[in-house]
Amino acid sequence: MPHKWGLAVDLDACTGCGACVTACHAENNIPTVGPDQAARGRAMHWIRIERYWEGEFPDVRLRFRPVMCQQCDNAPCEPVCPTYASHHTEEGLNAQVYNRCIGTRYCANACPYNVRFFEFFNPVWEKPLHLQLNPDVSVREVGVMEKCTFCVQRINAGKIQAKAEARELADGDIKPACAQSCPSKALVFGDASDPDSAVSKLRRSSRGAGLLEDLGTRPNVTYFPRHTEA
Amino acid sequence: MARSARFWPVVLLGAAVCALAACERVAPIPQAPSETVFTTAHRTIGDAFNEFFGRRAEPVQPIEFPHDIHIEKGMTCTDSCHEAAVDGPVAGLPSVAMCMTCHEAIATDRPRIKTIAEAYAAKGLDLPWQRVYGFSQSAHVKFNHAPHIRAEVDCATCHGDVAKGTVARRTVDHTMGFCVGCHREKNAPNDCMTCHF
Repeated sequence: MPHKWGLAVDLDACTGCGACVTACHAENNIPTVGPDQAARGRAMHWIRIERYWEGEFPDVRLRFRPVMCQQCDNAPCEPVCPTYASHHTEEGLNAQVYNRCIGTRYCANACPYNVRFFEFFNPVWEKPLHLQLNPDVSVREVGVMEKCTFCVQRINAGKIQAKAEARELADGDIKPACAQSCPSKALVFGDASDPDSAVSKLRRSSRGAGLLEDLGTRPNVTYFPRHTEA
Repeated sequence: MARSARFWPVVLLGAAVCALAACERVAPIPQAPSETVFTTAHRTIGDAFNEFFGRRAEPVQPIEFPHDIHIEKGMTCTDSCHEAAVDGPVAGLPSVAMCMTCHEAIATDRPRIKTIAEAYAAKGLDLPWQRVYGFSQSAHVKFNHAPHIRAEVDCATCHGDVAKGTVARRTVDHTMGFCVGCHREKNAPNDCMTCHF
């Protein structure tokens, strides 16, 4: 049975610390673009923390929501791609193939979550920062679209390692950078096709909901809304 | 008269294009790659041209390493020189210390051994081996040796008959067709995400 990767986000646990954002940038060689380009909406964050203020001062509450690619089963970004750069894998990942991408940006326009990013420039790292680039992940060039991959390099590495040790993949073997770095364990990643995995158990809860679910995108990221009054 | 009738519209159009281009320049221009930064951009147009047509310079090795002699003596590729290939993504290149473990005693009078002993090992330098194979950055290929070795793919399938030659040369073209052909034959995964990520 093929794997089906899913992520559960517990908004009760999320403190909005931003460790996931930092870890994601480091893991996936995501360039920073500087304040001028960021002001033009060209900043790239495969995962971002949305902030919501509720109430009137001084009685205000702050809520956080980490948002990454929802790896939709019915992804709006896929049918609009003229080159099949954005396509669905057997394991339910919404894959982006940089080699095929010709930069039409239709996918980013179709995505209701704003989680696809375009390389407007060739990324630049001041030396010696280029030595910290992750060798397991491509460094994308100008003119391609990129987005959260659920750390597919770690998924592949985990599968290769399990096969080398002649065993089945165990729950928790694979952790994307965001889930690994989350200090409050708000992000839980795993195989949703395995009924005993932590993520499957969480997904069975009636509390869980997908982001903008009524659009029919069938996201593979499940959010658990806050139920404590902080 | 006929000449100037054609001449002026062209000049005006040219001026309009230049003016438009000047307006566009309000956006900051990405800085050109320099020695102090790393970028995915090609350094020169020539570099981009060569990569597009797959033209690569032959690597120049520090010594003419004779692969054939070592294989004849009973060594194998993954014995000690490229041992990282067995359980890792990259095969690796041997350090000068690796050479000297045997060549402290064996064939010490040969000119190539003298070179590495005197010019490198004695000075504490390592051999500046040059990579022969490898994918370009824009190929976005992440290759891992280990699963291929476990699947018992012979080294020569992808690297040619290095065992019969002296210095390693690029003899096999690592095109996508070459990879996919074998993956289909062996029922290996063929999804894009297997290699391109």
